[in-house]
Amino acid sequence: MIQIIQILILGIALGGVYALMSSGMTLIFGVMRIVNLAHSAFIVLAAYLAFFVFKTFNIDPILSMVITMPAMFLVGIVYYRLVFASRADNPRFSDLTVLITFATGLVIEGVLAFIFTGIYRSTTPTYAKTSLNIGPFFIPESQLYALIISVLLIVSLWLFMRYTRIGNAIRATMQNRNAAQVVGVNVRWISTLSFGIGLAMAGAAGSLLSFVFTFYPAKHIAWIGMIMCLVVLGGMGSLVGALVSSFLLATAAAYVNFYLGAAWSPITFYLSLFLILLFRPQGLFGKKVEG
Amino acid sequence: MGTLVIENVVAGYGSGPNILKGLSLTVESGKAYCIIGPNGAGKSTLIKVIAGLLKPREGKISFKGEDITQLRADQVLQRGLCYVPSDRSLFPDMTVKENLRMGGYVMRDSRLVDQRIDELFAMFPILKEKSSQMAKTLSGGQQQLASIARAMVLKPEMIMLDEPSLGLSPKVVQQIFGTITSLRDQGLTILLVEQNARKGLQIADVGVVLDLGTNSFEAPACDVLNDPRIQELYLGKRHQDVAAEECK
Amino acid sequence: MAENTIETNLQTKENAVKVPKKANLWIKRGVPLAVLAFLALLPVFQIVEGTLNYYLHMLMYVFLYVIMSSSWNVIGGFAGYVSLGHNVFFALGAYFAGMLFLATRISPFVSAPVAGLLAMGFGLLFGLIALRTRGSTFIISTIALVLLTAEIFDNWKLTGGTNGLAMPLINLEGQFAKIPYYYYLLVVMVICVVMTYFIKHSKFGLALRAISQDETKAEVAGIPTRQYKIIAFGISGLFIGVAGAVWGSYLTYLRPSIFLTVSLGTSIVLNTILGGKGTIAGPVVGTAIMIAVNEFVVAKLGATELNIVVTGLILIFVLLYFPEGIVGSLKARNRLPSFLDWD
Repeated sequence: MIQIIQILILGIALGGVYALMSSGMTLIFGVMRIVNLAHSAFIVLAAYLAFFVFKTFNIDPILSMVITMPAMFLVGIVYYRLVFASRADNPRFSDLTVLITFATGLVIEGVLAFIFTGIYRSTTPTYAKTSLNIGPFFIPESQLYALIISVLLIVSLWLFMRYTRIGNAIRATMQNRNAAQVVGVNVRWISTLSFGIGLAMAGAAGSLLSFVFTFYPAKHIAWIGMIMCLVVLGGMGSLVGALVSSFLLATAAAYVNFYLGAAWSPITFYLSLFLILLFRPQGLFGKKVEG
Repeated sequence: MGTLVIENVVAGYGSGPNILKGLSLTVESGKAYCIIGPNGAGKSTLIKVIAGLLKPREGKISFKGEDITQLRADQVLQRGLCYVPSDRSLFPDMTVKENLRMGGYVMRDSRLVDQRIDELFAMFPILKEKSSQMAKTLSGGQQQLASIARAMVLKPEMIMLDEPSLGLSPKVVQQIFGTITSLRDQGLTILLVEQNARKGLQIADVGVVLDLGTNSFEAPACDVLNDPRIQELYLGKRHQDVAAEECK
Repeated sequence: MAENTIETNLQTKENAVKVPKKANLWIKRGVPLAVLAFLALLPVFQIVEGTLNYYLHMLMYVFLYVIMSSSWNVIGGFAGYVSLGHNVFFALGAYFAGMLFLATRISPFVSAPVAGLLAMGFGLLFGLIALRTRGSTFIISTIALVLLTAEIFDNWKLTGGTNGLAMPLINLEGQFAKIPYYYYLLVVMVICVVMTYFIKHSKFGLALRAISQDETKAEVAGIPTRQYKIIAFGISGLFIGVAGAVWGSYLTYLRPSIFLTVSLGTSIVLNTILGGKGTIAGPVVGTAIMIAVNEFVVAKLGATELNIVVTGLILIFVLLYFPEGIVGSLKARNRLPSFLDWD
């Protein structure tokens, strides 16, 4: 019994970080219909950035979020402007974005491999090695902090979207782009901003992941596999969906990991993807899309 | 109160052909204009160009003496010209109240917006009743009212409605048009595009026929309604003896 | 009246539209046939000279990728459904033939067609599940497929896990060792490309093209879109499976890290898009160019990391500015050399 709850705790801890990872990607899709398969590559990029400032300036990875988030925000704005801004009216846009972002991920991987080589890295703050005990249960300190920060960030994002003028403009653009234009929202600017915000979330995830996992340039492939499944399962464009699917799958994977072995854990994600495509292709919280 | 002057506007979408081919029109304040014409004539395109959603390739548009041709949608809104799109274009997962708030997006003062919304709730009690329901749960007629109310939040001097009767039952259409008429009576300038030419012309002061990208006919609505050529071409009457419609 | 008729005829002739010059058939047919003859005869030189092993190997690489890219073209180019995990068929064919050989000594040359059919069967099955979605979700599901398959093969005892399986070399002297594989792949490649030609010019191919333009309208027009998509997906796996069986035997070892990488899947897509998806010559042109570029990058810059950077950048560039690919863009501007116009 204790075992079961312990696994649940570990699952939830990871779920928070996964939610942070997938929230950016689903936001970007929701606002601009861009499937950003480079999202995990940007996360790895941010992780390397956190690693760099950790090694060079001894900046704690959690604090490094102050650097990685704005940096990735800027990267997002530039990338969007360069690649997507002028093509938004192409009807086959979504398919195009998949390939373009996928290729971008490969480019980022190559550049990172060139600069940092393929050695497994991670940041090693003091809390990376310790665990906290709560009664008969334990939770690695690093994962606890990652969970708390992830939840804080996601809640902040939700509050931002609900109660600020710009947040409402983003929500409006997600729900009906044309109507948003009619009421005077500058959708082009909002799109650029949203991409920046999505990548800022990736930046935060990168900082956190730098001490939760080890990473190397090619790791983005494994992570995008996972994030893809989370986003599709939750429903593309739904932040609530990303949240729910993240906690759900993280917990499921934790149990699978314990009872069946580590190899089965990623398989859980892929199988969930195929199952949801079989029975409810729009995901748990997604909208039925025509073509 | 403003007038809208459209001079020789040429416009099209993307790299496609010209839909509007040199259209000129003057809209006098305080009156209701109804634009009718066949599909593809450019009715919706005209509205989008005026609203700032589509840049014209040639021509000039002025509102209250100011050149608004190159202005963005939000800038046009701020000058008192609002737009109600043909598919209502509400935000489906926002409440009615949130939708109305979005109508006031370009207004920075949120207290003014809320004040205005209260006034609109008084004008449209059904919306007040549904104010915290999701817009997608409203019926077609209620959505149309919400869309009109949203356009009213900024206290515009002129509103443009693109096919407000679309998809609505005749009884509801009657109600909507009653609302439009009362708005006109309150002093708003109305520019209406309608497929349901008869209904549109019945409430309008001036009728404009748009065909092949330019306006081919303009006259007091009543005359347009009773013109036999118009009747044959656009109102679906052929060689019938019909009593002239009542003129206001 | 008669005068008017004659005048009218003259009138018509003067205003007649100029018919484009008929392409010189000697060049159009001759060049590809000459190249084919050259390829067919090359091993003869190898038997005599014995020093062409490197070139034979490179050419076999080209044959392999042409087979994979051309096959991909059927679902990705004709039907417009991009699959980034198409190398799963490659792996299935290779592992099937390899494992069969290890268990029963049946030569992969013999079992290759069966491997192909198996791959096609799998394609039909997967298509049944994944082709319920459109556009971007489909692409995602193909990525998930290759990642899932890699995960399974990495951890399954039956397939040898990450270390894979090793197979004995075929019983021929060094000089002649490559030749059977060379010819097998050459023949499969020709059959494959010819098949894509016939598919494109069939009613089925026309239906696929309709699906890629506007699936809803195609459905409304009465095309059984779901069935056709699944069939196309299956067909696109057939020759890849065959090629996989042969290639696995040629390499003599099977490992997930060779067959089931995302890079391989991406290369297949890039080759076809670069060359011109939906055209017959496109995959061939794209493959040839990309293999040359890769050789160049490795030779000049050595590092393999820059290899993926180059691949990625080329793909982005082509997608943004030349989505029709080389053959497609040239054809659109009427500058396509006739020997490349295989459509």
